[in-house]
Amino acid sequence: MEQTTLEVLAPTVEEAVAKGLAELNLTQDEVEVEVLDQGTRGLFGLGSRQARIRLLVKTGTAANAASEPVKAVEVEAEAPAAAVPAAAEAATAAKKSPLQDDEFILGVAQATVKEILEKMGVRAEVKASFPESAQGDERNIWVEVQGKDLSFLIGRRSETINSLQYIASLMVGKELGRWVSLQIDVEGYRQRRERALRQLARRMAEQAVSSGRRQVLEPMPANERRIIHLELRDNPNVVTESTGEEPARKVTIKPTK
Amino acid sequence: MKELVEFVARSLVDDPEQVTVTETSSQGKIHVELHVAREDMGRIIGKGGRVANALRALMRVAAAREGKQVTLDVVEPR
Repeated sequence: MEQTTLEVLAPTVEEAVAKGLAELNLTQDEVEVEVLDQGTRGLFGLGSRQARIRLLVKTGTAANAASEPVKAVEVEAEAPAAAVPAAAEAATAAKKSPLQDDEFILGVAQATVKEILEKMGVRAEVKASFPESAQGDERNIWVEVQGKDLSFLIGRRSETINSLQYIASLMVGKELGRWVSLQIDVEGYRQRRERALRQLARRMAEQAVSSGRRQVLEPMPANERRIIHLELRDNPNVVTESTGEEPARKVTIKPTK
Repeated sequence: MKELVEFVARSLVDDPEQVTVTETSSQGKIHVELHVAREDMGRIIGKGGRVANALRALMRVAAAREGKQVTLDVVEPR
């Protein structure tokens, strides 16, 4: 079995160890500490260098069993100026987010969405995954919902699917003890919608340029407005802007000349 | 409807034991009252009512499938 290792940077070796243990949710006797760099305090913060350590999780501990592949995570600490309280804070913050393995996170996401749907009286297949390219804790959890005639789950202006997504991400976040970003798709709707919105953006931009007048799109939720803004970001002939109040906020495309 | 509200509410609050849900129904209209601990009111209602409104949207869809209408009140403890 591969060993779980964790590299930690902190103002002192002691703080680095404490932080690493909190991150892994383990106690000192469950790990071996390897000091990679003692670090130096420097004089009045000048020439100071952070301590760097590596924690090796001993075999047979819970965390090791839970996370098979090697996890080499760099935990950067704040600058060592306010060293002691900062380290204490980092330790408590880290405790809330133990290194959770992917399968567990996806399992929670999948079960949560499935149960909400069941309680709504909806029969559907639910599959959670991470996008292949993404890494780290900022990854989107991608939840696909498949079934028969699920268009009612999308709703007008994506209201239902976005509500489901919002509620589910709060519930999963609460379960995991940290904020998560979760995206729900129903029968490929998000991708179809994104393609349609990009097309709409380009067409309306052309119209704005040829007519010389601003084009106001219909109200859209934030994630859809974002697609429009991004699509036209590199177009030098127009600028985009969102106006109005939610939920009637809409994108305006203005010609630059 | 009750199960849906209970499930969501219990997963979001700090104090799930204080979550109680009552459901009354007449003439195709369902009314749900959700009671949570005072400290959890904010979690259930959300900024600008965002959480409660999202929950209402889900309830609306679930009720519409049975041809019904639904309202949700989040009730603060006395």
